Amino acid sequence: MTPAPVARDPGTRPGALAWLLLAPLLAWLALFVVAPALLLLGCSLGERDEFGQVLWGFSLENYARVLDPIYLRIFLRSLGFAALTTGLCLLIGYPVAYQIARAAPRVRELLLLLVMVPFWTSFLVRTYAWMAILREEGLLNALVTWLQPAWAPLGLLYTPAAVVTGLVYSYLPFLILPVYASVEKLDGALIEAAHDLGAGPWRVFPAVILPLTLPGIAAGVTLVFVPAVAMFAVTDLLGGARVPLIGNVIQNQFLQARDWPFGAALGVALLGLFLVSQLVLRALRPRGALRG
Amino acid sequence: MAALPPTLRFPAAGARLLQAGLRGWTGLVLLFLYVPVLVLVVYSFNSARLGVVWEGFSGRWYAELLLQAPLQRSAFNSLVVAIATTIISVVLGTLGAWLLHRYRFPGRDLIESLVNLPMVMPEILLGISLLVLFALAGVGLGFTTVIIGHVTFSFPFVLVAVRARLQGLDPALEEAARDLGATPWGAFRRVILPALRPAIFAGGLMAFLLSWDELIVTYFTASAASATLPLKVFGMAKVGLNPVLNALSALFLLVTLVGVAFSAYLRCGARRPPPTFPR
Amino acid sequence: MKFKTPILPGRLAALLLALLPVASRGAGQLNLFGWSEYVPQPVLEGFTRETGIKVNFETYSSNEEMLAKLVAGGGRYDLVQPSDYTAEAMIRRKLLQPLDRARLTGLGNLAPEFTGRAHDPEGRYTVPYMSGSVGIVVNTEKVKTPVRGYRDVFQAAHRDRIVVVNDSRELVSWALYALGQPVNTVDPASLARVRPLLAEWIKLVKVFDSDSPKTALLNGDVDLGVVWSGEAALLWRENRKFQYLLPAEGAHQFVDVLAIPAGARNVAEAHRFMDYILRPEVSRQISAAFPYTNPNAAARRLLSPDELANPASYPSGGKLESFRDIGRAAADIDRLVTDLKSAK
Repeated sequence: MTPAPVARDPGTRPGALAWLLLAPLLAWLALFVVAPALLLLGCSLGERDEFGQVLWGFSLENYARVLDPIYLRIFLRSLGFAALTTGLCLLIGYPVAYQIARAAPRVRELLLLLVMVPFWTSFLVRTYAWMAILREEGLLNALVTWLQPAWAPLGLLYTPAAVVTGLVYSYLPFLILPVYASVEKLDGALIEAAHDLGAGPWRVFPAVILPLTLPGIAAGVTLVFVPAVAMFAVTDLLGGARVPLIGNVIQNQFLQARDWPFGAALGVALLGLFLVSQLVLRALRPRGALRG
Repeated sequence: MAALPPTLRFPAAGARLLQAGLRGWTGLVLLFLYVPVLVLVVYSFNSARLGVVWEGFSGRWYAELLLQAPLQRSAFNSLVVAIATTIISVVLGTLGAWLLHRYRFPGRDLIESLVNLPMVMPEILLGISLLVLFALAGVGLGFTTVIIGHVTFSFPFVLVAVRARLQGLDPALEEAARDLGATPWGAFRRVILPALRPAIFAGGLMAFLLSWDELIVTYFTASAASATLPLKVFGMAKVGLNPVLNALSALFLLVTLVGVAFSAYLRCGARRPPPTFPR
Repeated sequence: MKFKTPILPGRLAALLLALLPVASRGAGQLNLFGWSEYVPQPVLEGFTRETGIKVNFETYSSNEEMLAKLVAGGGRYDLVQPSDYTAEAMIRRKLLQPLDRARLTGLGNLAPEFTGRAHDPEGRYTVPYMSGSVGIVVNTEKVKTPVRGYRDVFQAAHRDRIVVVNDSRELVSWALYALGQPVNTVDPASLARVRPLLAEWIKLVKVFDSDSPKTALLNGDVDLGVVWSGEAALLWRENRKFQYLLPAEGAHQFVDVLAIPAGARNVAEAHRFMDYILRPEVSRQISAAFPYTNPNAAARRLLSPDELANPASYPSGGKLESFRDIGRAAADIDRLVTDLKSAK
C-alpha cells in the first residue's frame, strides 16, 4: 500500500543549505505550534481542581466527555456552518477573483486593495454595522417595507441566515486572494490552444481553466473553511448566541466554566480531526493530477 | 513582461454578455463589501450617543477622537504589530513554501500539516497556551510576544497562498535559469520570486488584515504598553457601540482609500521598472 | 527548561527591541488590571496629575480572563478588580495580600452595607469599587402586562422578544430562585430540578448577550430581558420607557472590589490609588460615567437627584443576595446550559 514517492511531486533531496533555510520555519513550528499543542495535550489529560486550576495527571475522562452526543452534535453543526460558508464564498468569490485577474495589470492590485479596504475597520464595528442593517427596525427592513410592505418585517437578525451572512462577509477576501493569485498565472496560450482545437467556451472552462486554478481554489477553501469551523464572535453577535458552536463551547470552558482540561480536550479533538483529515486527503490525492 | 490576461473565446454576443455579467457581478460583490462600511461612515456623523436612531448631523465624535490619547496609542501599536507580523510572515511563508515545494524533505507531509495547524487552532487555545509557554520560559509580555503570536497564525496563510501558485508553476522555468548558469539562489531570486509576486502580495495582505483585527491571542500575549486597537475597541464596545469607534473606522477608511488612490496614481505615472531577467 | 529566542532578521530585531517597553521598576508606577469600561479615563489622569504615579492600565472582560492571565503568569499586576465571589476564591487561594488599612484614610466613606460582606468579612483584603444587580428590564411601551418576577418574563407570550445575559451561572440561578431553591448550593440534584424549567425558558430567548444586552432592547429587537443593572441604568437614562425592577423571587447582587495580588511590586502605589478612589468627589466621577450602585455613602450625597432616581442604579426593595464561589459546580452548570441550548 505504500505509494511510490517518486512521482508525487517535483523535488530533489535537500542539501545542507536547504536545511539551513528551512531551520527558522522548523524552529518556529517547534516552539510556537508543536510546544503549545503538546501543552494542550498534557492539559487535556489532567483534571480541574475546585478553583479551576489544572491538576496534571493522566485521565481520559475529558475525551470520554468529548464523545458525548451533545458535543458531537455541536461539532457536526460547526462543520456544517463552515461548509455552507465556504461554498457560498466560492460561488460569490470565484467570478470576482477571475475578473480581477483578467483586468489590466495596473488595475489588478488596485481592485485587490479595494476588496481589502473594508477590512481595515474592526470586525466588531463591521459586525455592529451588519446588525444595524439586519435588525427589525433596520435599513434592510426599511427598504423591504418601501418595496413590498407585505413582506416586512423580515426577522433576520439573530438567525442562522444572519450568521452565515456575517461569516461569508468576513471570509470572502480569504477566498478571493488565493484564487486571484492562481487565475493570474493562467497561461493564456493554453486557453487559446484549447479554442484552436475546437473546444467551445463551455468546454474550455471546466476542462482547462477550472483544473488549472484548482490549487488556488484548494488554498482558498482551506483558508475559509478551516478558520470558520472555530469561529465564535460573529456567531455570538449575529446569531444571538442561541446555538452553541464548537468555538463558543471551547471559549466557554476557559472563560466561564473554568474547566481548562475539558476545553483543551475539545481543542485537541478539533486539531486531531483536522490533522487526520489532512493526512488522509494527501494520501488519497491522485498523483500528479494537478500538473496536467 | 506582463502575461496576457487569459480570455475565453466566445461568439461575439456571448462574449459581451459574459463580460458584462462578470463586471456586474464584481460590482455587486464590491457593493456587498462596502454596504456595512458606508453604514458606519454615515453613523459616525450621527449625534446620538447610543447611536441607533438618527438624531442629526454632528462632527463631535471626530472632535472627541482627538482627545482620546490611549486610543491613538493603541492604533499606533496595532500598526507596528501588523507591519512586523506581515514582514516576518511573508519571509517565513514564502521561503517555507518554496523549500517545501522544491525539496523532498523527510516528513514533508507532516511539516505541511503542522503549518496548517494554527489556522484551525481556536484563538483562545493558541492564546492561553502561548501565555503559559512564555511564563514557563520567563519571557515578559510585550511587543515581541504579541508579534510571535500573530506570526504564528498569519504565516500559514502566506504559505498556503504561495504554495498554491508554485504548484502550477512550470518547473522548466527554474531549470532553464539553472541551465543558463544561475545558482539555485539566483534562480530563486530572479525567476521564482517575480513569478510569485501576486501570491506574496495576496498572502501579505491577508497576514496584515489578520494581525490588524486579532483580539483573543493578542489579549493573552500583550501587556498594557503593547495593547492593540482591537483590545481597546472591544472594551469600548462593551458599553454599546461607541460612536467614537465609528468615527475612528471612518477615518481609517479615508486614510486607506487615499493611500490606494495615491498608489494607483503613482503606478499610472511612473514607468514600470525594467525586467531584471538575464536574457 | 530553556527556550531559545526566535531568530529574527537583524534589523527587525533591533527595531523591535527599541520598541520594547523599558521594564519599569520602583516607585512612580502602578500596574492596574481592571474591567474594561469601568474606570473612567479622567480618574486615571487625575490620579497621575496629583501623585505623579504613572498608571499602566490593562483590561479584562470577565473574572476568568483576569484569573487566567494572573495565574498563568506573564503579567505583573499591582491592583486587580475582581467580583466579590472571585475575590473570595482568590483569598482562599492566597492570591491576594492583606491591605494596610492605616493607609486607607477614606474607608469611613463607605456605606455600612458594603463593608464586612461574606467574601471578606473583616475587610482585610478588599475595598469595594462599585456594586450592581441583575434584574428585569421592561420596555413599558411594548409590554403592558405586569412583570414582577422571572416567571413573568419567561412567558410564551414573550417568545423571541427576550434578551438575557449570556452567563450560565446567572441563568441557572434565576431558575433556582423561581423554584425557591438556594442559589449558592449547586449540586447535581438541584441542577436536575431546574433542568425542565430552564429548558422551557431557553427556548423563549431571542438573544444571549453579556457584553451589551441593552443594544437589542434599544433597537426594538426585543421588549424585555434580564440584564446587568448598569445596562438598564443606561437604557433608563436614554428613555424612561425602559423600567428596571428586581425580581420578586430574589436577585443577584455583585460587588466589584479592588485588591492587591500577592506578587505585587508597587504596593504603596496600589494603596494610594485605592485611597484616591475612596474620595467622594472621585467616586462620584465613576458614577457619572458608569451608573452602577455606588457603595461610597459620601459620594452618593454628591449625586444629582436625577442620578439617585435611576431605578436601576438605586433600586428599591427587592431581595438581594451575593453569589458565593461554587467551585467545581461551575463546569456542571456550563454543561447543562450548553446542552439545553443545543437541544433547541
